[in-house]
Amino acid sequence: MTPNEIIRSVLSFLVLIIFQVLILRQVVLFDTAFCFLYIAAILFLPYEIDSVWLLVICFATGLLIDSFYNTFGVHAAATVLVGYVRPFVLRAQFAQKNVDSRLELTLSQLGFVPFLAYTGSLVLLHHAALFFIETNNIGLFLPTVLKTVASALFTLVAIFLMQLFSKR
Amino acid sequence: MLQLFQFISRSRSFIVFVLLEAFCFVFIVNNSNYWGATYFSTASVLSAKVLETSSAVTQYTNLRQTNEVLAQENRRLNETLVQIRQATPADAPASYKADSAFAKRFRYVAVAKVIQTTTHSPNNYITIDKGLADGVREGMGVLAPTGVVGKVKFANQHQSLIVSVLHSQFKISAKLTRSGEIGFVQWEGRDATAVLLNDVSRYKKVARGDTAVASELNSVFPAGAMIGRVRSVKVNPDQTFYDIVLALSTDFAKLSYVYVVDNKLKTAQETLEQRVDAK
Repeated sequence: MTPNEIIRSVLSFLVLIIFQVLILRQVVLFDTAFCFLYIAAILFLPYEIDSVWLLVICFATGLLIDSFYNTFGVHAAATVLVGYVRPFVLRAQFAQKNVDSRLELTLSQLGFVPFLAYTGSLVLLHHAALFFIETNNIGLFLPTVLKTVASALFTLVAIFLMQLFSKR
Repeated sequence: MLQLFQFISRSRSFIVFVLLEAFCFVFIVNNSNYWGATYFSTASVLSAKVLETSSAVTQYTNLRQTNEVLAQENRRLNETLVQIRQATPADAPASYKADSAFAKRFRYVAVAKVIQTTTHSPNNYITIDKGLADGVREGMGVLAPTGVVGKVKFANQHQSLIVSVLHSQFKISAKLTRSGEIGFVQWEGRDATAVLLNDVSRYKKVARGDTAVASELNSVFPAGAMIGRVRSVKVNPDQTFYDIVLALSTDFAKLSYVYVVDNKLKTAQETLEQRVDAK
């Protein structure tokens, strides 16, 4: 990675967190669909990042988000889970391809379907973990599933929009 | 031993993962501990500062709604205050008991927004955005938070025209709170910040700075509604009344929200008084 790329990814990371905390925190559709766009900051960290550092970054990000949502550790737990699973998903999906060049985790580089599979699976995992830990009540299974799916759709739309409008 | 270290090295990401998750769940389970509440909640210094700044920005977008809600609240409070004052007047003898229908005769019908106002012509009118549909009727009184504004002249479905205090035909009975003198207020037609208080005898004591409010001899405005303060007191040698100038408490150029006040017994009072003339 060139210094330029490092600065760019650090900046976009921070912008996403600030955007989440200041604006998306207030955006709730129909009381069910939440937008947790900050997970994109984790998903689009460079491919070759060390897995232990990834976990630490996830934990810190989750705690930061938690401190704004007043949900002690819930976001941190879900985000750390995503950080742990991310390398496996990446290896399973993109191990054979792109051996010759560096893998860039963007919509334009990956193509629509692989990108959707990658982001969709991890966003769904994150939201499911998040809402089930938060609810902590199996009696509310169906409402929680609805919330998970609706929020995952919302977040995915936001991620796609973000990718379409980012120059790269 | 070597094998143990190799195992740790190989699965270090799994170990870190389990540790962090365990940490998170400890956090979640005793979520009310002092440490967590201090450093990782919206009460922490960082979050509080950020949220404070962000709400200082977003506050502006809600100001209109907040304004409206406060105006409605004030309307309710004013109505209650007037009813209480009417039921137990401060200067009444102990045996006086107000009739409940009489005490509750003033009703704050609506909160309206001023959409047009003039102060420069000899006869000034104000237009408000509430009309017949909102319960506004001709002849009702109009008050601003700072004092008396005028009287409804015409009302259509959604707007009304108000004769302002700054109108040559507008008269209102006023009382000076400190001296207790009663006179009537009229505008002389030039200065939009001042009105004249007539009919106060020169043999009474009137001090500068005394407050003039709507008197009890008033069927349109509840007694005690603010009008202004005495700005200057003059007396001509050949006249029996003072020339009192009141500085208006309401700035008519800056009116925004006004209350429309109805006196439910006004027509009854007028028909009663007209029976004298009919005879």
